[in-house]
Amino acid sequence: MSGGFLEYVPGDSFLHRMNPVAKLASAFLLVIACFATSSPALLALVLVVDAVLAVRCDMVAQTIGLAKAVCAFSLLLALIALLFTPAGDVLVALPWGYVGTGSIAAAVLIVVRLVACAVPLFLVFYVTKLTDMANAIVKVLHVPYKYAFAFTSTVRFIPVFMNDMAGIMEAQTARGVEFDGSLAKRIRLMVPLCVPLLVSSVRKTNSAAIAAEVRGFNLRTRESGYKDYPFAAFDVAAMAASAALVAAAVALGLLL
Amino acid sequence: MIEISNLTFRYREGSAPVVRDVSLTIPDGTFVGITGAAGSGKSTLTYAFNGIIPHCYPGDFYGSVVIDGLDTCTASLTDVSRLVGSVCQDIESQMVSSVVEDEILYGLENFGVPKDEIGRRVTEALDAMGIADLRHRSIAGLSGGQKQKVAVASVIALEPRVLVLDEPTAELDPASSVGVFELLRRYAREHGTTVIVVEQKIALLSEYADELLIVDGGTVVFRGAPAEVLAHSDELLEIGVNCPRATSLVNRLRRRGLFAGPAARNVDEAVAACKEVLA
Repeated sequence: MSGGFLEYVPGDSFLHRMNPVAKLASAFLLVIACFATSSPALLALVLVVDAVLAVRCDMVAQTIGLAKAVCAFSLLLALIALLFTPAGDVLVALPWGYVGTGSIAAAVLIVVRLVACAVPLFLVFYVTKLTDMANAIVKVLHVPYKYAFAFTSTVRFIPVFMNDMAGIMEAQTARGVEFDGSLAKRIRLMVPLCVPLLVSSVRKTNSAAIAAEVRGFNLRTRESGYKDYPFAAFDVAAMAASAALVAAAVALGLLL
Repeated sequence: MIEISNLTFRYREGSAPVVRDVSLTIPDGTFVGITGAAGSGKSTLTYAFNGIIPHCYPGDFYGSVVIDGLDTCTASLTDVSRLVGSVCQDIESQMVSSVVEDEILYGLENFGVPKDEIGRRVTEALDAMGIADLRHRSIAGLSGGQKQKVAVASVIALEPRVLVLDEPTAELDPASSVGVFELLRRYAREHGTTVIVVEQKIALLSEYADELLIVDGGTVVFRGAPAEVLAHSDELLEIGVNCPRATSLVNRLRRRGLFAGPAARNVDEAVAACKEVLA
């Protein structure tokens, strides 16, 4: 990935131009749709939507990367489903039940569902400037600015702190600490380093707070934002389409 | 105008005052350079100008700081900030946005600058710092010098009466440092802004400042035009302030009675002085 964690990927796709709140709402509706349905057809439809969005945003490589990561993460859940969902024709007998064709279907469903619902959220966060997202949430959803600021600051500081941690570890390596080896060993060596990291992060957040305060943080209200975030026809259409998917998911669930 | 009278400040966790009995009057539009050894109290002194002490760091605050008639101790930090724009030392944590334009917008939005004026202010601030081409760039992808200019632009967009900068060139190479000072001076002259800048690079300060303040042990030990202050290069060295070699050379000539002119601020002035001596 070219940028850092949640770093804006510029572009002018449909998704880039959508209202930030509409994007978030549609993404969350897609998540709900994915979890409300077990229909392979509907999940496949969401996957198609995902693929189209990724292509339009010009983020195919990143999206495939994310999909792989989500697959790896959901494999554990899939394994549990496979072993503990005795359904369908018996394939392998187990002391507590069996692995059947239904178990395989359940496992696959979990992986597909998680990938399908992760992609829209992932894309939305990468094609929206964090500042726009925060400002739009404040303006449109009337969320108090300090919460929006806390959220953007958190995301903004993640790479800063990761950088600090890397610096501390390099300093330790230079003084003979060997960070290579097993994961357990590395974690054991990293725990005491949280103290200097904490000190430097408290210092940084303090200076960030002061810097925000001297630029009028306390005066900011919902009306302060320079940019307006009106809903365009395609914002409404996207939210309606996502809502329709949720309705379809629920309806299919009731029928089946 | 800035009037500091008998300012003493001790941080709550500190045992001794960091700023001791400082009294200063700074006329409007002055470019003031503050320098001193590490731990001399120069940063704390800048916090007095922008109201960060006593508003953000608890401690004992004696005396008064009055900026254009506003007492920084009784006014809120926000009100002080309307007059005084601050660029902090830690640029990285000062940034609130991911894109340059949004960073400039931030303060303007907060202070309620009318929307029909915001566009002009953003453009002017970017132009003043020579970074109009960075307007839509992501901040994470900028160099240190560019980030520094963005930080300054985001503050001058607020059109403050006083601009306080804490080591604005700490992470910059010599060429970019000169660039930042050049832009600052031009901006300050055009707008009549008072500039107070803390800086380790005394040669740079001497070039650009109208007035130099040398701080040691929390007090102002030397104050005056750069050439006057630099005449004390030996005393400065004792308190950990290294003068340019050109200055030391000319001061030696002055001490031996070979040269009667002012202390040199740079190589060109030293060359001129040497030519005069040799002639």
